[in-house]
Amino acid sequence: MVNADLLKGLAKDEAAAVLGLGKRMVLNTGAELFRLGDAADSIYLVTRGRLRLTLPMQVYSRQEDVLVEERATGQTVGWSALIPPYRYTLTATAALDTEAIGLRRDALKDYFAAHPGTGYVVSLNLSTVIGQRLQLFQAMWLREVQRMVEMRCA
Amino acid sequence: MEMLLMGACLSVFGLAVACLAFGAATRTPEQTAAAPAALKKEVVKEAVKVAAPARFFVDPPALPMAARTRVPIEALLLQIENHIRLEHAAAECFLESPDASLLHSRTISPLVN
Repeated sequence: MVNADLLKGLAKDEAAAVLGLGKRMVLNTGAELFRLGDAADSIYLVTRGRLRLTLPMQVYSRQEDVLVEERATGQTVGWSALIPPYRYTLTATAALDTEAIGLRRDALKDYFAAHPGTGYVVSLNLSTVIGQRLQLFQAMWLREVQRMVEMRCA
Repeated sequence: MEMLLMGACLSVFGLAVACLAFGAATRTPEQTAAAPAALKKEVVKEAVKVAAPARFFVDPPALPMAARTRVPIEALLLQIENHIRLEHAAAECFLESPDASLLHSRTISPLVN
């Protein structure tokens, strides 16, 4: 787990210390880790299995949770816990039996205040995770707009 | 006298033929088609009467157009999910080597094709 995207660049003992702040969670297939709009107080590292991140969409006048992204072993979910207003912006559900380590915001803040070097590396890793998500969805959004333009001009 | 009467008869006959020919030449196409169209209608009516399907008790219920063309919700949700996975993969390809052609690559997603 020390190779998780949030812990890259940390020495093994530093990574183990950060993981030691967390709480292991086991989710059966279909179980919800968090829901859109919930108060976000923990960020999660997936240690086994896969999580589906979904957003509600109106389909035939019915609200359906539609897949937006999937997160697998070693990946981070729930970074809304570190960004105001601390509300989850997606719903996370276990696609299969899944395990994750939940790291509470206040525990991380206290630890990073005491270990600023570790806090710096983790913050850089977090910005990479967020930046990659932003770039990915920017590209996806532009592809959709491009299709709309093509339909409009056809 | 007889010759004169015969000449007059032939003249009247010639005039009548000329009038008929003139009338035929100046008749409009609608007038020409009117009679066969009326005839055709009768023929079609007869054909419809013969070809109409047998109806037992009641007519089948008329479905609204949207219901007839609607994809089942489960199938639509799978299409949406498949589309998002394909778009995700396309966006990842673009991010690995940013290039306009990769950004605008075509999708095989049935949701938009």
